Amino acid sequence: MLVPTLELYGEAADRVGEVLVDLLAQSRSRYALLVDRQGFVILHRRAAWAPKPPSLDSLATLIASNHSANEAIAKLFGEHGFRETVQQSDGVSTYVEAVGERALLVSVFDASAPLGKVKLFTKRALERILAVLDETREAAPTADFGGSFSADAGALLDELFGDGKSA
Amino acid sequence: MSTINFAAREINFKLVYYGPGLSGKTTNLKQIHAHVPGESKGEMVSLQTEDERTLFFDFLPLDLGKVNGFKTRFHLYTVPGQVFYNASRRLILRGVDGVVFVADSAPNRQRANAESLRNLRENLTEHGLSLREVPYVIQVNKRDLPDALPVDMIRAVVDPEGLAPCFEAVAQHHQGVIEPLKAVSKLVLEKLAQRA
Repeated sequence: MLVPTLELYGEAADRVGEVLVDLLAQSRSRYALLVDRQGFVILHRRAAWAPKPPSLDSLATLIASNHSANEAIAKLFGEHGFRETVQQSDGVSTYVEAVGERALLVSVFDASAPLGKVKLFTKRALERILAVLDETREAAPTADFGGSFSADAGALLDELFGDGKSA
Repeated sequence: MSTINFAAREINFKLVYYGPGLSGKTTNLKQIHAHVPGESKGEMVSLQTEDERTLFFDFLPLDLGKVNGFKTRFHLYTVPGQVFYNASRRLILRGVDGVVFVADSAPNRQRANAESLRNLRENLTEHGLSLREVPYVIQVNKRDLPDALPVDMIRAVVDPEGLAPCFEAVAQHHQGVIEPLKAVSKLVLEKLAQRA
């Protein structure tokens, strides 16, 4: 089954992108990401002054896995999950809010951004994102994954792995 | 459950290496990471204990390139094999598109192979899945052991119906590592095409 990471296309995606840009400006965070709960990056923005981020794939996977693990901990105590997750170091910290059941909103910030400010503006950004998702009436784009898709992707696999013999 | 990100025009597939502890799951990912060209792979992440046993998972993203205008990517995960890490295994199977089961050829690990397969079935059931619907291949690893069990004997335990493609391997020497990855990837793509 092929499912969208989030019902986010076209204009709605642009609007959520703007929300992330505003979040960076208001909270002074370095990076803002919308991450699928399976660990895939949906959208991300970086502050102009921020250094190059680490691998976003790694970051998204670890954030999503950590969130799943935290949720499992909460369930041990009969809770549905933890509403927010903060990870603080002396340098870079992260703040994570759930975006419904499908995604996570992540702010990555450093010591120049007070945690309270990051929390406040991340929560506001979350409300705006949920409003955009709620308002979105745009039909999902179509993509053809029948026909030649499998053969074309298979050809790329052959190219990447050769004849499949590893030694 | 493959996911499509229309905003970034990406399709993502999740492949999970499953199997008993010390069967060679992490070694597979290390070998893949070492042999795939730089532009097609991301960083490998390993969450390990101090004695280098997998604690949560290993992760390696592979980038296949663009197909029909969509960047097509495979995210490879291993699970921790030790019996007591089942909560982690269950979490990692969430959204799985394909499984490579790494079986151990050592005679004294045959019971662990069987137990791990039983555990895989149970954890898939928790996600509403079964091995009949998830693309599944078997890698019989450590074929260089002097007392390695015959492949048929191992297969009788991990694939008694003989339905899954099966590959012999010595993963630490990069033998038989790419074949199962390629096979499960193709099965996942074929399944997507069938449902399109």
